[in-house]
Amino acid sequence: MVRRISLILIFALSAFSVRAQNETDTLINRFQLEEVEVSARALTKDIIVPQTLSGEELQRLNALSVADALRYFSGIQLKDYGGVGGIKTINVRSMGSQHTAVYYNGVQLGNAQNGQVDLGRFSLDNMELIQVYNGQKSDIFQSAREFGAAGNVYLTTRKPYFKTGERAHVRAQMRFGSFALANPNVGVDIKLTDALSLTLDAEYVYSNGKYPFRYKRVLPDGTTAYDTTAIRQNGDINAIRTELGLHHYYRTTGFWRIHAYNYWSERGVPGAIVNNVWRNGERLWDRNSFVQATWQDEWFNRWSTRLLVKYANDYTHYQNYDVQLLPADNEYLQQEVYLSLANKIQVFNWWDLSVAYDYQYNTLKRDEWISGVTDERFYRHSHWFSAATAFNIHEYLRLQASVLMTAVSQQPGQTCNSQQPKITPGVFVSLRPFVHSSIRPLYDLSINAFYKQSYRYPTFNDLYYTDMGNANLRPELARQHSVEVAYRRATKAYDLAFSASYYYNRVTDKIIAYPKGQQFRWTMLNLGTVKINGVDAKADMSFYLPMRFVLRARLNYTYNTAIDVTNPNDSYYGHQIPYIPWHSGSAVGELDYTSRRGDHYGLSYSFIYVGERYAQQENSIYNYVQPWYTHDLSIYGEWTIRRYGLKANIEINNLLGQDYEVIQNYPMPKQNVRCTLAFRY
Amino acid sequence: MHTRFQILVFALYSLFLTLYSCRTDDVIYPTIGTHVTDEVRQGGLYVLCEGNMGSNKARLDYMNLESGDYYANWYGAQNPHQVKELGDVGNDIQVYGGKLYAVINCSHKLEIMDLKARRITQVDIPNCRYLAFHHDKAYVSAYVGSVADADMLGSVFEIDTLTMQITREVKVGHQPDELCVLNDRLYVVNSGGYITNRHDSTMSVIDLHTFTETEKIVVGLNPQRLRVDNQGHLWICNENEVRVMNHSALVTIIDLKASNISICGNTAYLLDAENKVLYAYSTEDYNLSPFAINLSPFENPYGLLATDDAIYIADAKNYVSSGVLHCYSLDGKERWTAKTGDIPGHLCRISAAYDLHGDTTPVTHHTSYIKHVYEYMPGMGQFVNELPKYEEGDDAAAMCRKCEAAIGNNAGGMVSLGGWGGYITFGFDHPVENLDGYDIRILGNAYYMSGSTVYGSSEPGIVLVSVDENANGVPDDAWYELKGSLYDKQVYTSRTYTRAGDTLQNPFHTQPYYPQWIAEDAYTLSGALLPSQSTTVSGQVVQTILDYGYADNKPNTDTIGTAFDLSWAVDSIGQPVALTTVDFIRVYTAVDEINNPTGEISTEIIGAIDLHINN
Repeated sequence: MVRRISLILIFALSAFSVRAQNETDTLINRFQLEEVEVSARALTKDIIVPQTLSGEELQRLNALSVADALRYFSGIQLKDYGGVGGIKTINVRSMGSQHTAVYYNGVQLGNAQNGQVDLGRFSLDNMELIQVYNGQKSDIFQSAREFGAAGNVYLTTRKPYFKTGERAHVRAQMRFGSFALANPNVGVDIKLTDALSLTLDAEYVYSNGKYPFRYKRVLPDGTTAYDTTAIRQNGDINAIRTELGLHHYYRTTGFWRIHAYNYWSERGVPGAIVNNVWRNGERLWDRNSFVQATWQDEWFNRWSTRLLVKYANDYTHYQNYDVQLLPADNEYLQQEVYLSLANKIQVFNWWDLSVAYDYQYNTLKRDEWISGVTDERFYRHSHWFSAATAFNIHEYLRLQASVLMTAVSQQPGQTCNSQQPKITPGVFVSLRPFVHSSIRPLYDLSINAFYKQSYRYPTFNDLYYTDMGNANLRPELARQHSVEVAYRRATKAYDLAFSASYYYNRVTDKIIAYPKGQQFRWTMLNLGTVKINGVDAKADMSFYLPMRFVLRARLNYTYNTAIDVTNPNDSYYGHQIPYIPWHSGSAVGELDYTSRRGDHYGLSYSFIYVGERYAQQENSIYNYVQPWYTHDLSIYGEWTIRRYGLKANIEINNLLGQDYEVIQNYPMPKQNVRCTLAFRY
Repeated sequence: MHTRFQILVFALYSLFLTLYSCRTDDVIYPTIGTHVTDEVRQGGLYVLCEGNMGSNKARLDYMNLESGDYYANWYGAQNPHQVKELGDVGNDIQVYGGKLYAVINCSHKLEIMDLKARRITQVDIPNCRYLAFHHDKAYVSAYVGSVADADMLGSVFEIDTLTMQITREVKVGHQPDELCVLNDRLYVVNSGGYITNRHDSTMSVIDLHTFTETEKIVVGLNPQRLRVDNQGHLWICNENEVRVMNHSALVTIIDLKASNISICGNTAYLLDAENKVLYAYSTEDYNLSPFAINLSPFENPYGLLATDDAIYIADAKNYVSSGVLHCYSLDGKERWTAKTGDIPGHLCRISAAYDLHGDTTPVTHHTSYIKHVYEYMPGMGQFVNELPKYEEGDDAAAMCRKCEAAIGNNAGGMVSLGGWGGYITFGFDHPVENLDGYDIRILGNAYYMSGSTVYGSSEPGIVLVSVDENANGVPDDAWYELKGSLYDKQVYTSRTYTRAGDTLQNPFHTQPYYPQWIAEDAYTLSGALLPSQSTTVSGQVVQTILDYGYADNKPNTDTIGTAFDLSWAVDSIGQPVALTTVDFIRVYTAVDEINNPTGEISTEIIGAIDLHINN
């Protein structure tokens, strides 16, 4: 163990820091430019730069959904139940999925029922930018609720850009792949007036989910104990996503946007593969719809205001008519109304203040027809009030501090401790010693640190689940401490960015299911304490080679311990919590060639590694889960003929056909192929 | 410049590749034999651990009661070629006609094995729950029938034990659980609690000749357990009480919420899981016997089996980690414990004892409790020569053996370290590892004053640890102090006790206070002295409880306050020392104080626990 840790230290020391901000990717530039335009003199830049995947880089990854793309970030643990339709959720720095907030074009995606967002449902095809922030987005001009989560994933969809004289863009794409994957996607951008534009995007996904998997066990002497192959059943999915966006920019300071989203799906829930059970009969229907509007403007050059409004309506229908099980037919309807008003005032050029207030109303209607629960309704009002300030001392030193007050009230009659408003602070510091020195911009070094507290509120399931809920739950508290060193060097020949961070998190009052009394009467209790120590290291490199070749490499590595320290008498005291690997990492290498005509050809290779971990609290051989690692390869070409663009991409995933599981008893697909053809006008 | 960065990239990448450990072939879970007791009894015991739904972790363990060896995952070792092992959620196990039958609920099968648990075949039964036998037939209750049913009634299946085929099926009530055969009739309780508007409270009676349900008898809400006693009466545990029935006639009601029941001879043992007590009732007059086993150290008492020479009770812990099987003698004394799989729920005794042949796993078993006491040298005090008792002719080694008998192996006795500087040195049957978090607990007799956690009886002892560097098995190596919360206030000193100075006797303790096994007339102790913490609160002399890092300072119920982290170790000049393991632990009384009328403050030791070993 000691040896292993010293290796990690060497690694951490040798691999400094994250990509520093302003330069790099043109698409980010475009995006940032747009935001900067709106509030030109404001301190909009993050003091701590998020991990980012954007634009072309994102499109070239061997990834179908946002969840697949997040495997390439450090400090993230993915739970994947396998296949196109399998649930995919993430943890940021081992703190649990419910501490992670996911934002779609700046507004949080909610799930008041179980607090988790299935990231497998979000397509990459219309995604322009994925950012992961540890702690919080370190820009004080944000909605109050954004100060509330421990880890944040921002998803930003493509925005329309028109060159002079252009009135419309059309994008049509078709993807085929293994397991009968068919995935057409059409996008249209229309410039209605100089300031007003419209985007439409529609996508259909079908897969029969019938992939082969294999279970093999050997005896200690190496001879085969059993070796069996079967086809995954009931893993089919049918999903349609449609989106509509209206963007209006006026003056130079203001804009409004309206975004409507609708996702409908029907899928089988393939279930755990256990002895004598090779198929399950559960079906799931979902409809997620929301409309959100953003309006932003600036007054007197110093005061910026942003208003967000959202209405979401999510319906889930779960049926289990497996003849071997007790039947179930449940329907859930969640509704959410959200309102946010954020204001930022620039007191001096070096000092900003912001205040924001958010309100959200959630309802859940539950009908479990067979078990006799009908029209059960729960609701919750949440208020967030935030105040934040930012100092920028000649770019050398930037400081931000925020305070968030959260007040949650449940439906009347439910006494709940969480009604006491909670106050959580966050402090962010960034030091850039060479920012004005003559060696910049050749070198850029920044040292960042933050401390943050955040609460994860009990979900409706935690509070009210039949026979299991506990209305007296307190919110779970996470305290994060993090230090990061980021280094960047860019010349005409190369662009290198390294970063390393160390973090220490402590999660207390962790909400866990605990058996009480007779038989299996589980209840939710604030019982757990988890201590997390980790190191993230990243390297992002581009080499501009002769002959218009560019070589890019992206390396990520995470080492972390997440130890249960609840009670020394437990058999799992001091053990790593379930499904958190000690080691994980990824490597992406890409060779891109640009022809004289401007066509692109490229080859991309990626490797993902997730180390050994345990499926349950106790780190015993019976709970051991093997490491998994996949090699993915893709080849692409991109041609431009006058104003028409054509793109082709072939991906081979899990090249060596590893039989692996991310979650025990949920086998993942072996080698599989996807082909994409895209047409652009 | 260019190449330097390329080298760096290459170095990073190769480092990355060397860091990870590769996949290996998944080896079928090895069977681990553990010697848990020297006690010899007849035959063997199968323990079916349920495992959580979807985890495929049903596990069949076997205990050889003649050799005292406990084998984890016995089925896996006997049937390594069985695809995906035993299955998902083991729900019942019984022996009948020279075969072993196990019901695996979520694998929807009845597993039929020989007595050594070698698989013969399986019979597919959807959502099967419990077993009963009669003549050449096995009966299995199931939550669903072979055909989907709009009323969601369960079924009982009849299986021919010769052909191992289903012969008949009969619909009963909602979610039928335990069943039994009496007077050519099959009784099955319909537990029906899973569906809100269809709670069941009946027992179905099935005529074995026609295999039809002839009666439904109301037996109270959600009945789950059903057993027959030696009087031919049915014992039914429902949600609220235990009913004893003579067919449909109520004989008596025992007002106890019993989660499990086991009848042996004329005693019915009822498990009150909520209050953690095992009660015994007579099957003749239904009176509560004075016998009871207090299960308060259990987290969740679950499996239960009473036999004519022992009672086995399993602790399911938090249901998602391994459990512990406890064996009690019939007079309620704990004999041994063994670590089981997840949710040890179902037990069955067989008359033959087996060993696993070809098992190459060495039998190792460490206990988490004190094994050896190496030294015992108390300061003069009122309990010296009493705790433990000195007898004429005892020497220092004999006193150490007496200390071992008192506090070794979780015996629960007490050793007093006497006045300031008095010490004891003990160890386990293995080195204690210094892992993340707390490593050991040391138990004493401290307690809080009623209603306070600030004041109480605290007789703090300083804890020292040592590594057997010269590997001679004797604590003659360097000592490191575990730095306590008052470390900065400690004063290092020494003190000589003399036989002549043994004049401090108080009216309650009139024996000599000088250790009688010491031949010399004086001995010198050295160490650190803590400032007095005594104060008077509400007329009582009490002590301010110290923050952390001292033995006999906080009550044993405080699992953190009595725990120590070996990372607290410092050397003689106060520098932290990184220890990976320790072999010896020493505790000495660190206060020097005599109070009226309670006498001097002396550290007492009741035991110690290695937190990294699970018994």
